[in-house]
Amino acid sequence: MLSFRLLDFFIAILYFTGALSFLIGLIYSSKKTQDRSVIITATGFGLHSLDLVLKYTLGIGEILTQSQFYISLLAWSFLLIYFFLWWRLKLKFLSITAAPMALLIFTGSLAISPSTLPIPGILQGLWFGLHIGSLFISMALLALAFGAGVTYIYLDRKIKSKTRLSNVSKDMPSLHSFDRANHLAVILGFPLYTVGVLSGFIWAAFTWKTIFTWDPKEVITVIIWLIFAWLFHKRISGAWKGKKPAQMIILIFILTLTSFIGINFFTETHHSLRP
Amino acid sequence: MEQKIYLFGLNHKTAQIEIREKFALTGFNPIHDGLMDRDGKVGEALVLSTCNRVEILCVSGLNLDQIAPIVLKKWAEFCRQDPDLLKKHVYTYEGLEAVNHLFTVAASLDSMVLGEPQILGQLKDAYRKAVEKKTAGVIINRLLHKSFSAAKRIRTETAVSSSAVSISYAAVELAKKIFGELQNQRAMLIGAGEMAELAALHLLNSGLKDIMVANRTLERAQELANRYKGQAMCMEKMLENLHRADIVISSTGAATTIIRASQVKEVLKKRKHQPMFFIDIAVPRDIDPNVNQLDNVYLYDIDDLKEVVEENLANRREEADKAGEIIREEVTKFSDWLKSLDLSPTIVDLLNRGELIARKELKKTMRVLGPEVDETSRKAMEQLALSIVGKLYHEPIVFLKRRSREEGSSQRFIDLTRRIFNLDQEHIPENAHQSRKKGIEK
Repeated sequence: MLSFRLLDFFIAILYFTGALSFLIGLIYSSKKTQDRSVIITATGFGLHSLDLVLKYTLGIGEILTQSQFYISLLAWSFLLIYFFLWWRLKLKFLSITAAPMALLIFTGSLAISPSTLPIPGILQGLWFGLHIGSLFISMALLALAFGAGVTYIYLDRKIKSKTRLSNVSKDMPSLHSFDRANHLAVILGFPLYTVGVLSGFIWAAFTWKTIFTWDPKEVITVIIWLIFAWLFHKRISGAWKGKKPAQMIILIFILTLTSFIGINFFTETHHSLRP
Repeated sequence: MEQKIYLFGLNHKTAQIEIREKFALTGFNPIHDGLMDRDGKVGEALVLSTCNRVEILCVSGLNLDQIAPIVLKKWAEFCRQDPDLLKKHVYTYEGLEAVNHLFTVAASLDSMVLGEPQILGQLKDAYRKAVEKKTAGVIINRLLHKSFSAAKRIRTETAVSSSAVSISYAAVELAKKIFGELQNQRAMLIGAGEMAELAALHLLNSGLKDIMVANRTLERAQELANRYKGQAMCMEKMLENLHRADIVISSTGAATTIIRASQVKEVLKKRKHQPMFFIDIAVPRDIDPNVNQLDNVYLYDIDDLKEVVEENLANRREEADKAGEIIREEVTKFSDWLKSLDLSPTIVDLLNRGELIARKELKKTMRVLGPEVDETSRKAMEQLALSIVGKLYHEPIVFLKRRSREEGSSQRFIDLTRRIFNLDQEHIPENAHQSRKKGIEK
């Protein structure tokens, strides 16, 4: 157990250095420092993957009922999506949200004392895994699209208002790249979100013999899903590009984050991750 | 004899174009044109002649008062002009000031357009010529290499040469901020003016996919379109093709606006809200300013672009201060090298002389001892003689090294050492001592 603590600590340090060095690299517009930060974060990500695999294989059965594991998994999916986007869109810039987010969530997971979640039933494992996995990945997509959205709006305002453009870093990608990140997050994120929500309901149907329990988490999730569906529709039909989807994704991410932190940690529901 | 670096020059700040033209040194060869003659007063030389500056860099053992007339005379002779006229406009730098000036020029901090990149290429050409004509020696080689690396450092570490400082480049840069790489973008020129053409040319050079030209007279549109493998159309067809354009450059002589915001709104729907970038360089303006209020549409008129350029220039000036810091650093490094250059030959001479004495004495002793001495004893004696000499010279060398690091007057101590150990007995001609004596008397 101690060795795991050490490993976790080491991963956190790597994420921290990665996030910090990217910021420094951005401020001093040093490409070398930025590249190094990506390497550091990637190393952290590798160790993190190992950590998760080890925890899963060593503690099979009981690990799935520990909230710490899920939060750590969430941090991991953030980076997974980040590296995916980097590969697809060459948007290294999104490191500005990915690395700090992963750091925050990962250290958050460390702060939580290992507690167990009530997960009744065994057969429902598949639905539960689907529920958690798809929701986490879509959340990671949302987080990155959030970063892309904030930068999009900032850059858009700069170009529109025609002021102090020389302050905009030369390395900052174009509006087009940020919009593509948004597009990808919506196109992939919404179906995943839908799968996550549906599998949750199916799992609930198996476990609690009821689909909708008016649990606050469920209510807010349905609301988010409706907004997300609207955005998805507008994006697919080509009616929205650029600023509006960027604003929408910011809203959706903030709602998701509030529901995740506010409900999972501060209220007594069956989504609670509280110790 | 101590070698000093001198730089004589004219540039856009000290001389009008008429003067610079008269004193251009294109094709000047320091050897053939008599600057570096056989007596070796001028040891190395490099000539830089561009439209904004004419400079001669040389290395010589002479004083400034002695070398300046020689250089200016040869310069004026080559140009068949009056040396006095040259004297009025020329600036002169000596030693580290010359180094500093050269680094400043190489980094384009002394250019008319601060940070423009051409000057470095011109300097590289000048250096290549100097190497080919064998007028570059140890010092100029090192100096030029260092000026190139200092310029490179400034380019990467400061933003002196970043942002665009011409209107058409500013437009290209903005387009890249919006669209990224331009390989999927199509531009439309409305009106076929010279400025629009220039902007289009820059866009095409930056990877633009395609171009359309709309003009009042179809012939002119066709002419431009043919040149850039684009598509021509008459003005009436402009609006119905507008949705195919990502970048619109407008420069007609129309008295009223030719594109209204409501029309752009329709166009946007047609192109599924893909972003558009309007560049309006016409006066009076061609495009309704309200177009900029629409989502995903960006409009820049000529004043906006001028402002961007102004801002970028101001930014470059700020960065120039940072660059000055780097130059000072590099000059210090170079001066350190220059100092060691003076010191190390002295050390080598000193050690050589010591070894010579040791071997001479060893030979004498061996002759006295006769042939019975075996190899081991001979080796031991040789070792002994050499190490005594080495130990003896160790302290003076350490002293010299320390002095040359600590203060600027290492020359004095090196000179003293050379005289004490009589290192220059055979090398220095009689008159060199004379000139040095004169130098002290002065």
